[in-house]
Amino acid sequence: MPSPDPSASPRSGASFELLALPLLPALLSHACWLCQNHSEAEDLVQETISKSLRAFDSFEPGTNFKAWVFRVLRNTFLTSRTGIAASRTVFLEDHPDLLETTSDSTTPEDHLIRLDNQAAVHSALDQLQPALREVLLLCDVEELRYKEIAAILDVPIGTVMSRISRARRALQQLLQSQFRESL
Amino acid sequence: MTESTQTTGHLQPDEINAFVDGELSVPGAETVQQHLNDCHACALRVLAASQLKTAVARAGQRFVSSPETLALLAAQLRQPAPAPSGLNPPPPLAPQHSARIVPTRRASAAFIAAGAAIAAALLIAVSLFTWSQFHQANTLAAELLDQHLAMLSGGAVPQVVSTDRHTVKPWFQGRLPFSFNLPDADALPPDTTLRGADLVFLERQPAALLIFTIHKHEVSVFVTQNAGEFRIAPRAARSGFAIRSATAAELRLTAVSDVNPADLDALVNSLVRVQ
Repeated sequence: MPSPDPSASPRSGASFELLALPLLPALLSHACWLCQNHSEAEDLVQETISKSLRAFDSFEPGTNFKAWVFRVLRNTFLTSRTGIAASRTVFLEDHPDLLETTSDSTTPEDHLIRLDNQAAVHSALDQLQPALREVLLLCDVEELRYKEIAAILDVPIGTVMSRISRARRALQQLLQSQFRESL
Repeated sequence: MTESTQTTGHLQPDEINAFVDGELSVPGAETVQQHLNDCHACALRVLAASQLKTAVARAGQRFVSSPETLALLAAQLRQPAPAPSGLNPPPPLAPQHSARIVPTRRASAAFIAAGAAIAAALLIAVSLFTWSQFHQANTLAAELLDQHLAMLSGGAVPQVVSTDRHTVKPWFQGRLPFSFNLPDADALPPDTTLRGADLVFLERQPAALLIFTIHKHEVSVFVTQNAGEFRIAPRAARSGFAIRSATAAELRLTAVSDVNPADLDALVNSLVRVQ
């Protein structure tokens, strides 16, 4: 029986390249946020590409390739030294008693004013807990669905919702405290 | 709407998030929309949440990669995946002895013409190959010099700044697909010091850049795998800089500097000895 032509296969390197090429800037950007270091981020994306190419057979056609490759990126990050340190974060949704009650005294108008200041948003995003920032970036920057984010983070969809909610509340509180300091 | 919303009369944070993220079902989104038409406070919260989402989307794109980085990664994508064993190309055929043909006079003229054509094609192929080798070596020499000048400019601080070989070598673990040895400080030529190291790419392949000083001259030593495509003359010069290249234990060591070439040879030899 003749061997199949790899280039004709839907799982060939060529089809991987077609799918992955447009995602390189997004992968690098997200890797920079995860590693907080350009050089490490580039290494991380290289390793992600290498692993994804090897595991491309496990990708189910018809599902979201972006979510799949972001999952590989995250898992690769978690096995790195920086990732291992970052994964020690305790997620508060696992400890409901530690969750703060909503004591948001700002008005929606306050948020609208502060969002005009890009530097303030950058600074607040930097200060956000990495796990919360990650979920927010996947949702707002990468425009992934909750279901896809849940698959990337390997958590239930309810956890994604609660993290997004906490992330936005924390971001608003950071912006509010910056605003108070600037007065 | 949720039970708690019905109790408080306002949208819950999860509902607002799901609404701005487009995660609600069509009937769910319609219900929220209806509530927003009547509730100014919730409308403002939704507006604030939408603007926060937009601000995060904008702020989240602040890491922009250089075209060089993207080109390197794109090149990595184009590398063929390892072929399954069954798909390996067949080995080149061994030369086979054919039956001797005694040409007739008419046929011999045709053979002479064919022979001339083959010789011409061979000549062109050899010329192209030689030109390609020369061009490749020239391009590589330029790339090496560029990397060395970039290091000299001081704009790029090496990732590892250390004179200790036990600090420099382990830093490359997991960053390079190969390993190499560094000599003790005592085993280096006189007045030669290791200053640090960096990870660079040469011809799209990862390389260790070792930075030394000899007297007061900076030296870049590039350690790469001795792949067939990495071609550079053992001794070369470009724009007043000497380039020395040697192989050792499947590694290629290439040094670039404006130091006395004899000192550069001594450094390369000391590195070759410990591989």
